Amino acid sequence: MWRRSASFILDRGNDVVSKPDSITLSPPPTYQSSSMADTLQNPNPNPKISAYYQTRAAHHGVVTSDWLAQAQEAAGPDSPGSDGRSNSAADSGGGGRPFSVIDEFNNWRQQPDLAEAVAAIRALAAVIRASEATTMMELEIELKKASDSLKLGDTTSISLTAGCDLFMRYVTRTSALEYEEFNSAKSRLIERAEKFGEISYKARRIIAMLSQDFIFDGCTILVHGFSRVVLEVLKTAVQNKKVFRVFCTEGRPDRSGLRLSNELAKLDVPVKLLIDSAVAYTMDEVDMVLVGADGVVESGGIINLMGTYQIALVAHCMSKPVYVAAESYKFARLYPLGQKDMAPALRPIDFGVPIPSKVDVETSARDYTPPQYLTLLFTDLGVLTPSVVSDELIQLYL
Amino acid sequence: MPDVQALVNEFLFKLKKRKIEGSQATARQTAVLLRSVISQQRIPYTHQAAALIDAVKAVGERLVLANPVELAVGNIIRRVLHIIREEDLSLTSVAMAGLDLSAVSDDEDETDQDDHPVLSAAAVAAASRNTLRPPSLQTLLEDLPDSAAVPHSSSSGGDSEGKSKSADKSSRSRKLKHDVIEAVNELIEDIDTCHEQIAEQAVEHIHQNEVILTLGSSRTVLEFFCAAKEKKRSFRVFVAEGAPRYQGHLLAKELVARGLQTTLITDSAVFAMISRVNMVIVGAHAVMANGGVIAPVGLNMVALAAQRHAVPFVVLAGSHKLCPLYPHNPEVLLNELRSPSELLDFGEFSDCMDFGSGTGSPLLHVVNPTFDYVPPKLVSLFITDTGGHNPSYVYRLIADYYSTDDLVLQRKPASVNSVQT
Repeated sequence: MWRRSASFILDRGNDVVSKPDSITLSPPPTYQSSSMADTLQNPNPNPKISAYYQTRAAHHGVVTSDWLAQAQEAAGPDSPGSDGRSNSAADSGGGGRPFSVIDEFNNWRQQPDLAEAVAAIRALAAVIRASEATTMMELEIELKKASDSLKLGDTTSISLTAGCDLFMRYVTRTSALEYEEFNSAKSRLIERAEKFGEISYKARRIIAMLSQDFIFDGCTILVHGFSRVVLEVLKTAVQNKKVFRVFCTEGRPDRSGLRLSNELAKLDVPVKLLIDSAVAYTMDEVDMVLVGADGVVESGGIINLMGTYQIALVAHCMSKPVYVAAESYKFARLYPLGQKDMAPALRPIDFGVPIPSKVDVETSARDYTPPQYLTLLFTDLGVLTPSVVSDELIQLYL
Repeated sequence: MPDVQALVNEFLFKLKKRKIEGSQATARQTAVLLRSVISQQRIPYTHQAAALIDAVKAVGERLVLANPVELAVGNIIRRVLHIIREEDLSLTSVAMAGLDLSAVSDDEDETDQDDHPVLSAAAVAAASRNTLRPPSLQTLLEDLPDSAAVPHSSSSGGDSEGKSKSADKSSRSRKLKHDVIEAVNELIEDIDTCHEQIAEQAVEHIHQNEVILTLGSSRTVLEFFCAAKEKKRSFRVFVAEGAPRYQGHLLAKELVARGLQTTLITDSAVFAMISRVNMVIVGAHAVMANGGVIAPVGLNMVALAAQRHAVPFVVLAGSHKLCPLYPHNPEVLLNELRSPSELLDFGEFSDCMDFGSGTGSPLLHVVNPTFDYVPPKLVSLFITDTGGHNPSYVYRLIADYYSTDDLVLQRKPASVNSVQT
């Protein structure tokens, strides 16, 4: 049977050639289901699994049933996701070199409060600090190499790519750097990179302020998954004495929605948990949908936790507004035309019961929501319509 | 010279009593008033721009509160504030360039400052970055985080200027005021000529033997049709009467007087007629930042009918109608309820509306809203004095006309939520 296959599968042609030896370990015919079977038995994830979504799950998700206890531990080093990553990091970085940007990045990434782009930029700052370059040009080349290896290390993380691109653009474009001598330019770069964490935090505050006008008393908000920005928005609304209630979806497979409902309950916000399939059932009670984003792409659409597209479609059908809260450093130069245009970011899914090896499992962790289903984007650049995103990106990268 | 305070109070009274009809007249009068406020304002040696901005904001706040529904007032105030910031900035960069060149001539021509051979482009660029440019991805890393955008802080323009030492302060202070007044005069002229500017584009949009539908009456629409007629286009106009004020009747009369084929229909006949129509052209009360339109009541229905039959829905709006705010619950907050006497004769229904009978409150309620909100997805095209634009492009026009610091005019943030100006 002939099926449509996306171009990234052709690109990965050589990877597939090297696959058979890993498949021979276990009898099942397709390696995807084999990886599923593996994850059900042992905690070692398949290297194809998206590190980004594993980290997210470790930080925000609730994997076991005693999730409250798990939340206390936050991201302990024994969680399966971080295990796999430190292994791979040791593989790539352990070649005897004293400094590895991937190690650095993974260290920053462990911190649950740090955004992915901030971790990337901190890692690049460490590259500058460790560099022995004597001219701007050398430094740029070194940074370029480092950011490329970072990006290759995890192709599924959009904010990592966007963060690297943003910083590289700053290094190559800033006119102020041209007038300074090399050492002060270098220290300025490092200082900016360190400040970026603050910028990112500030961005969240600005978004929370801007979105307050949209949350009116007595409204019902549907949220999907766990997003720090969305939590900040709702927290600020509580501080402003707004009266509202929140419907949280469960957010399978890492059940990050449970974590959000937990946080909201702490704030005394009325919360109702929904299973992901109950969205259409409850949509008529909902006044607005508010989601975060893993990445905002050039069309103005968003890439987010699996299920966002579905929710946006339902909301569009019932003409409810869909608002996206996302920091501007998540804007990425991608232009997906459909769901299959992005390399799938795979995540193991725990079905609770063993799945027969003949059954194939859809394990992608994210989907793409086209801009026509989004109403407005709340970003630190202001409240934007989806079409503004490409404008901003063009201004930056052309 | 008349006292400014008296002028302000008189205008406030007119706004409150709804004595001024139409957003163009309101916009013009606001601009004229602000011009006299600026010219009367004494300005100190330092922070001149900040002083002007404060003065304009103080007056502006009261004007907006007098009639929060008339968005043109707020728009013009923001435009004037933006003008002050812009002029201040251009003066600052001229001064800085002058200092660096060490060839200070205080009567440098305003116009050739751009092609000045500026040595420290970085310094000037840094100055301009702080003030006017809206926050963007580009400046995310370049700027210090505190200037990156705290939307409520009043301009940093005054501060940066105060620090820059310059020998010719007194001449600059006079120059700033002069430049601002000059620019406000241009703004007034723009408002005056916006009808002609829009009407000039009429022939590009109205074609031979087309059927155009409009509702109610708008001066912009009338001049648009007339301009097309003058260019020898022959077309037909369907005018929906626009209940309850029936201004469509007046429009129909005017059109006939100018020799246009006109058909008058009731508002309820719009859906029946729309399949014969090639294009809907209407005026607006205000255009919001998301591309939504606040328009005379009944237009949402027309827009929906037009969408059903895939008829282009074109909105004519002068640039003073562009409002940088997002509509929150526009049907209620940005609406005005007029007297029921427009709907009903008092005598006939006075029994039903009698407060004395039975329950103590009348059984019959009459709701007479003035405006409709048309969501951006129903609008095909905006024609402004700068050309035709897509609804999703409106944000760009707004970024040109307003600076982000001015979006909130009330200085008490608590009141922002209750009254969206």
